[in-house]
Amino acid sequence: MILLIILLLPIVTGLFLLLLKNPATARIIALCSSIANLLITLGLISTVPSPSYSVNWNHFMGTQFSLGFDGISLIMLLLTNLLFPFIILSGFTRAHIKIPVLNFLILFTQSALIGVFLAQNAFLFYIFWELTLIPVYFILLLWGGENRKAITLKFFIYTLSGSLFLLFGIIYLFTLTPGMHTTDFSAFNQLHIPAATQTWLFWVLFVAFAIKMPVFPFHTWQPSTYTMASKQGVMILAGVLTKMGIYGALRFLFPIVPQGVLYWQNTVITLCLIGVIYASVIAFRQTNIKRLIAFSSMAHISLMAAAMFILNYYSIQGLLFQVISHGVTIVALFYVVHLIQERTGTLELPQMGGLKHVAPNLAILLLIIVLGSIALPLTAGFVGEFLIIAGLAKFSIWFAFLGGTTMILGAIYMLYAYQRIMLGDNNPTLIRVKDIRTLDFFILIPLITLILILGIYPQPIFNLVEESVKTMQNLLPVNEVVTLLTR
Amino acid sequence: MVALISSIAWLVPAFPLLGFLITGLAKNRLKNNQAGIIASTLVSFSFITALFLFFSLRSSGQDSVTVTLFNWISAGDLNIPFAFLIDHLSITMMLIVTGVGALIHIYSIGYMHDDERVSSFFAQMNLFTFSMLLLVMGANYLILFIGWEGVGFCSYLLIGFWFKNPAFNYAARKAFVMNRIGDLGFILGIILVFFTFKSVSFTEIFSQAGALQAGAPMITLITILLLVGAVGKSAQIPLYTWLPDAMAGPTPVSALIHAATMVTAGIYMIARSSILYNLAPITLNIMIGLGLATAIFAAVIGLRQNDIKKVLAYSTVSQLGYMFLALGLGAYSSAVFHLTTHAFFKALLFLGAGSIIHAMGGEQDIRKMGGLRKKMPITYLTFLAATLAISGIPPFSGFFSKDLILTKAFENNPLLYILALGGALITCFYMFRLLYLVFFGSQRLSSAHPHESPRVMTIPLIILSVLSVFGGFLNIPELFGGKSDLGEFLHSAITSKVTEELSSSTEIGLIISSLALLGLIILMAYRTYVKRAVLPAADSESLSLFGKVVANKFYIDEVYTLLLEKPFGFLSDFFFNTIEKAVLDPAVDGIGTATSRLGNLVRKLQAGNMSFYLFAMVGGILLFIIFILIV
Repeated sequence: MILLIILLLPIVTGLFLLLLKNPATARIIALCSSIANLLITLGLISTVPSPSYSVNWNHFMGTQFSLGFDGISLIMLLLTNLLFPFIILSGFTRAHIKIPVLNFLILFTQSALIGVFLAQNAFLFYIFWELTLIPVYFILLLWGGENRKAITLKFFIYTLSGSLFLLFGIIYLFTLTPGMHTTDFSAFNQLHIPAATQTWLFWVLFVAFAIKMPVFPFHTWQPSTYTMASKQGVMILAGVLTKMGIYGALRFLFPIVPQGVLYWQNTVITLCLIGVIYASVIAFRQTNIKRLIAFSSMAHISLMAAAMFILNYYSIQGLLFQVISHGVTIVALFYVVHLIQERTGTLELPQMGGLKHVAPNLAILLLIIVLGSIALPLTAGFVGEFLIIAGLAKFSIWFAFLGGTTMILGAIYMLYAYQRIMLGDNNPTLIRVKDIRTLDFFILIPLITLILILGIYPQPIFNLVEESVKTMQNLLPVNEVVTLLTR
Repeated sequence: MVALISSIAWLVPAFPLLGFLITGLAKNRLKNNQAGIIASTLVSFSFITALFLFFSLRSSGQDSVTVTLFNWISAGDLNIPFAFLIDHLSITMMLIVTGVGALIHIYSIGYMHDDERVSSFFAQMNLFTFSMLLLVMGANYLILFIGWEGVGFCSYLLIGFWFKNPAFNYAARKAFVMNRIGDLGFILGIILVFFTFKSVSFTEIFSQAGALQAGAPMITLITILLLVGAVGKSAQIPLYTWLPDAMAGPTPVSALIHAATMVTAGIYMIARSSILYNLAPITLNIMIGLGLATAIFAAVIGLRQNDIKKVLAYSTVSQLGYMFLALGLGAYSSAVFHLTTHAFFKALLFLGAGSIIHAMGGEQDIRKMGGLRKKMPITYLTFLAATLAISGIPPFSGFFSKDLILTKAFENNPLLYILALGGALITCFYMFRLLYLVFFGSQRLSSAHPHESPRVMTIPLIILSVLSVFGGFLNIPELFGGKSDLGEFLHSAITSKVTEELSSSTEIGLIISSLALLGLIILMAYRTYVKRAVLPAADSESLSLFGKVVANKFYIDEVYTLLLEKPFGFLSDFFFNTIEKAVLDPAVDGIGTATSRLGNLVRKLQAGNMSFYLFAMVGGILLFIIFILIV
């Protein structure tokens, strides 16, 4: 029952918002709803009877409407419900057009995402997976920036075509199930698919997730979409939607086509590591700050994807930790970028500089977020990246080296961007600019506190996923293919 | 006693952390010297606590105490407690960091008096002290790494403290990035340590290390990776170029971070890992080569520098090279001894330089100084003491620590001794060149009105000069009737390689000949810069080819720009403009266009008709449901 509440509360509130005329009331109700959902989630996490838990309703639309969770779903659920209050709160600025509609779409996205993370069968998963696309499509189209029509269309077609492969894969798996066919994950996980089939089925299932994350070379929709998206749009995309790809891959690939994973493991990890370096190198010369951060986010996600395909204890722990850490950091980062845009009127780095003179507090907050992004110890980013690099090293020291270059490259482009925005001589065009307001404090201080607390005391997250990680790491037939040099 | 140590050890880093929070959060409310007084007081408290720990540890009869605060990371086999190791090595470092640190904080009250962001300055200095204490107190490699990255970040902040100047900001980023290159090696080394020993805690690793075979590939790889980290942090070839640029920061920063403490972190880390390094003869030889090359190379560059802080910066690089040489020779405690005396005299030199720059109204070019001896007697006398110490003149502190390294070099190979001695002679020359140009002759810049610095600055100078003069007595060798106290004290924490001792007659012979050469060098410098009053050529004037190359620091910065920075930018453009824009994007669009053409053909529908896609999606889901219902 509680899962149904978590799932439906946002969308029901959202529908109610459509009846409202007063925009101020609408966003307060939206905020209250998202906070309530966060509190329920926290309550759920603290009282979990067992790490895995499932509720079934009667047959519904020909398949079971069944929700449930394990540690991995919980992490995703926590991330979603943690970030949405901040995403909604960030809309409490000067009047947007159609605030009730916007908040309806945001809450719609939240419900759809929760559905993805709680679905216990592939059919339900697919419905929610596609449902997320509809509100996000309209958020991008209606509130986006320059050239939004063409870019949104590309985003839409790109992700949709990936999903079609997934749909085909699900139907194929469905036909393989014995007796009364089913799309339950539990049944899919029992299938013993021939290795030869797994090698092609892997790609059929993986493409949709690879596009969503995105993994090199399926990423080309991402930089332009992020750059064009509105403040709340990009926060949703980068903070949560990318994690859908990771979640889907964890759900579908490793339990269902383990031999396919094993067959393609080195190829995919290589692609991911190419993505890490490729995106980091590109980020260095970007002049548009949003595009720079888009490539930076791609680099971080690629490292997480590499960790996923290494699939050992440390890499999965690091990956799941990084899911939270990256989500919090990137949302804070994009929020600050929009504050900077509001103050300077531009996103172009060459036109910036000297903002620290007039907005010293904003400069300090941005610097802390940058530190989280470049994984300085005692920020959340370090804990996740350290475990991921340790996981890579267990597999191959060279992979660890390649993945670890993000430590250097990240410092290069992030500190460069920070310098271009904040430092330098007084900028005469910024004289009237104000430092951060109360609202910004309410958004940034909790997010930054989280970045620091998770860096100093990461243990609760580890404990949350411990069981699931142990299950995950045993999924591949041969886990550690390459070991270290012997003593 | 042990219980007492456990219960108060955390105070040592907590004081500066508190100072950081107070001066950082209340920076707009603090007036005049308040921030400086708060920051200095808290670092002094830290020093007093460290002193108390030192005596408690001595009387407890134990070699080390591990203090665990809480579990930081615990995932599977990986257990990383947030713990401190209080032993003879860490307590030595704690006393240096807090002692020299407190003096530099006090000095800064005077030096930074007129700066508008003085509260920020002290906040960052306190944060640095906190990080540095984590570094030296950490009981495992990861706590050490927290401090390691923390000091790197504070160094970034303080180099770029005057952030209006883009060149300073560039220097700050350069320092951070070059440190990070080393840190990647370091973190990989730590990870391999963990997989090899199933632990990252020093005591556990070192107790297991005995079972390993010397020269095993794994141990060689680990020690090399850790060395890469140390090379970045301690500014050795090829990652040294950030340190001279780091002089962009305020001078007390150069004294604290880029001379006395942070840059010696690499030496500390390797001395801490002495047991591992003893098992890796290849790595030790690499360190001898790197250390010696850096010591001589940087000293040669120092000969032609005319910026007072740049001379001292190259001198620091060179002295760190000597410490690496000592480490490579397996004489880890000698390296720590030189680290200690160097902390005294180099901090003193930098603070003296700060006093001079202060008096000269910001001028740093030694060609424009001169004749300051009479105007600034305290600065002169203390600077003289430090110069004698760094040159290795007995009985000043540098003599004892440098002589120990030279002796160890001779024991290993007389050729090493000759090279190391050559470097020491160059050191002596550039230091006396500096001293004579600044304090002797006549004042060359008429616009400046030099004056002695206020007492808040001169008192730290006097205390440091006392330490620079007598610091060597911490470790008087048996040759002079001492008992090598510091070496003995560190013995429980550091396992130095046992070498064949030289006979005392050889040792005395070496000392006498080197002293004669040093005397000659000082005389040479005196004749050139005082008697003949030669002024180094102006930048525009033509030098000999070699002189030009040296004056331009062997063009290493230019080479790095050409070989690394430029190609990196080019690669970035190539990836974005060619691969991204001209290959991947068109490929995807091409597939899209081809598909939509096909769609056109079959369905006679327009590409990009959104309602069709929505229809197709919902229709697909419906078909799927019907399919389920039927089957």
